[in-house]
Amino acid sequence: MAPELLLLALSVASYAVGALAALIVRGMVGRALVAVGALVGSLATLALGAWCLATGATLAFAAPWLPLTGLALRADGLSAFFLVVVGLGGAAASVYGFGYSAHYDGRYSLRLLGAMFNVLLLSLAIQVLADNALTFLVTWEAMSLSAYLLVLVEHDQHGTVRAANWYLAVTHAGFAALVAAFLVLAGGDMTGSFAAMRSATLPPATRNVVFLLALVGFGTKAGVIPLHVWLPMAHPVAPSHVSALLSGVVIKMGVYGLMRVALDLLGGGPPWWGGVVLGLGAVSALLGVLYALMEHDLKRLLAYHSVENVGIILLGVGAGLMFQSYGLPGLATLGFIAGLYHTLNHACFKGLLFLGAGSVLYATHTRNMEQLGGLISRMPRTAACFLVGAAAISALPPLNGFASEWLVFQTLMGGALVPHPEAAIGMAIAVAMLALTSGLAVACFVKAFGITFLALPRSAEAERAREVPASMQVGMLVLVGMCVALGLTPFLVVPVLSRALAGLGGLPLTPIGFSLRLPFSVSGVTGEMSPLLVGVGVLLLGTLTAVVLRGVADRRLRIGDTWGCGRVGQTPRMEYTATAFAEPLRRVFAELYRPTEDLSIDFHPKSKYFVRSIAYRSEVEPWFERLLYTPLLSALRGAAVRVRQVQAGSLHLYLAYMTIALLALLVVARWSR
Amino acid sequence: MDATFSQLAMLGSSLVLIFGLILLWRRRVPAYINAFTGQSIALAGVAGATGYFGNEPELYWVAAFLLVLKGAVIPALLRRMGRRFGTERELDPYVNTATSLLMAGLLVLFGYAVMRPLVATSQLPTRASIPLAMGLILVSLFVIVTRKKALTQIVGFLMLENGIALLAILGTYGIPLIVELGVFLDALLGFLVMQVFVYRIQETFQTMDIGQLSRLRH
Repeated sequence: MAPELLLLALSVASYAVGALAALIVRGMVGRALVAVGALVGSLATLALGAWCLATGATLAFAAPWLPLTGLALRADGLSAFFLVVVGLGGAAASVYGFGYSAHYDGRYSLRLLGAMFNVLLLSLAIQVLADNALTFLVTWEAMSLSAYLLVLVEHDQHGTVRAANWYLAVTHAGFAALVAAFLVLAGGDMTGSFAAMRSATLPPATRNVVFLLALVGFGTKAGVIPLHVWLPMAHPVAPSHVSALLSGVVIKMGVYGLMRVALDLLGGGPPWWGGVVLGLGAVSALLGVLYALMEHDLKRLLAYHSVENVGIILLGVGAGLMFQSYGLPGLATLGFIAGLYHTLNHACFKGLLFLGAGSVLYATHTRNMEQLGGLISRMPRTAACFLVGAAAISALPPLNGFASEWLVFQTLMGGALVPHPEAAIGMAIAVAMLALTSGLAVACFVKAFGITFLALPRSAEAERAREVPASMQVGMLVLVGMCVALGLTPFLVVPVLSRALAGLGGLPLTPIGFSLRLPFSVSGVTGEMSPLLVGVGVLLLGTLTAVVLRGVADRRLRIGDTWGCGRVGQTPRMEYTATAFAEPLRRVFAELYRPTEDLSIDFHPKSKYFVRSIAYRSEVEPWFERLLYTPLLSALRGAAVRVRQVQAGSLHLYLAYMTIALLALLVVARWSR
Repeated sequence: MDATFSQLAMLGSSLVLIFGLILLWRRRVPAYINAFTGQSIALAGVAGATGYFGNEPELYWVAAFLLVLKGAVIPALLRRMGRRFGTERELDPYVNTATSLLMAGLLVLFGYAVMRPLVATSQLPTRASIPLAMGLILVSLFVIVTRKKALTQIVGFLMLENGIALLAILGTYGIPLIVELGVFLDALLGFLVMQVFVYRIQETFQTMDIGQLSRLRH
């Protein structure tokens, strides 16, 4: 048996064992079996992906003995890469989940959690291997439903059911679009292989319809604005290791699907396809980070950052699609590599951050940043891990976020080579938006880390926080290692990715290396910039300053309160709050946020110079969501009310409907010719 | 030979249909159960005859199953249920007896009309009886729709099953035995599930009147 098939069988079997163990075995042994099943399965998935990427081996597997399922699997470079993403995210989340799910025992259903966790991982692994429409759609639905049940685990918490319902509704709307897309693409034959779809020649209008349907379908999963509404609701309420998996891996299936359909099955299209993806990516990136800035719920903040990062990924993919249709395969490959690399990196650092947020939640039982603070001295390891994740997502070198965002920049700079002004200008605007996004992301994570971990604790829960169990730390450390490793080795990763992409949609195998130079030449002017030199310069300057300061400064050791500014009697109430930190940006972007403020001051009845209490509430209004969804929802509700009249609650009426339908069908069948 | 078979099939099918029509004018549960028993026996007869004349030995098995399951087991279960709520009669159906009979006649006619092309092109000796099976299916549906008591509806459902079995036997000389067995099991399970529901309805509403279920709507 070929090693690929062995690995696949191993991963499927261990996921299945993990899922069954969750149903049968209880208590700590059950949790351990769930974690081991998921871990071994994920490692096998990871190994399968890495093996296929390294050796270029392809796996093909069909199951004709399952006649009704039409199961067909095949691994190419793209599948193998996403297998790596799934395996990595799954492995870290499963180790972490062993410790994290301990406090669920007796409160929530561990059977549901453990079984669905394994089912989700299994469906993800099969998903990226699917080689026909039916397999793809069935695993897609399995993934969506298991994720839905996982979101519902903490069912009695405020907002969970509502979030899960939103998720279910949006994801099924997307699923409907996907079914339609594949029906059109496959010409009705859902068990026909992807190879047949690749070779089919469809008229341009049909191809456009397929692309748009796929964009909607995969966009809902990826959380592209304006289809993202479910994401900031559903990801925070799920158990944290599930959130890490949802944000790190599951939403990436949208990226996978989009690349599979638009690039592979349709083989690329007119430039506006890439333009639409690029535009959606730019808008998602910027708005995602802007809304993240206003969030004080740690996990919601991270969820909005997922929207942002999916936007960055789509910037790469969209640029790649554009370059491909303009006949610039080298730049196109670079764009896709940038998108894929950021996909992997985001899986690592967003997984890490969600695990870190989960540790905070585990230790303090709150996600509200205004009640946290001072955790760095109480949970130093979690704080260090979170800091690495925060630096990575802020794209600080030498961590992995920098490597891939840099590639996206490089790609978009290449827009200057496109001989069409609208594309060149569009990409230049995208560069500007990406730059703004990166800056705001740094601000946001200064806030997230600073308010959560630094200064004094703002509540008794934060004061009593303790470091989390070892398994949770291990889960985070795995991802810390990956963040550093992927950040230091882009020159190794990029060639592997370019090999993985070769052949998809007619992309040639272009040897692309990672460089810190900008290949950007406008006709006549050849500009060059060396970030490496800039970086070295900054480093030198920093070292110089430090040396000078050490030489000049007063070197006596003084210990004072954090952020004490020389005052005595510091209390947490004097601290900077998350709201205060975000306030300047809220003023700058007031037109976007349209904040509502509510300030009520309770004076002493005798004199208004004595204030008893001040209550300040401010909320950001997501007005464009309201603009889009309110009419849609009211139309749906109106239709539902009208349909409900048909449903009178009388069994006889329903039976009569069926009988009348049967008679009508008979009449049609008999007299229609 | 074929003429005999044709006439036998016609006779059996007519009996099956007439047993079905009994549901429309009788009001008492034991009468329904007897009608169903008779219908099942007649159906088994048709199956046996088709097996003999059509040279399909598998149909003997079908006939035997029909006799045991629908001629004995299910009627026994029905009687047990009937004893439990035997006093309840089908008092005020949605459609009165006279109109029901008229509708049944129309439905059988409709069955003939729908089946005309099949009868015209078929070479089977049983072709003349096929519309009767269709008629029984439609009449059973009519019973289910217009009668209020759960037991009546269950009997209607079982007769609908019989109508489908009759159509299969007449039209194709029986579907493969394995499928037939599946259908039997299906019918039995469906019946058992309905039995549970009837008990629950009885417990909740103190009646078997299905019309009361509309109170569940909020």
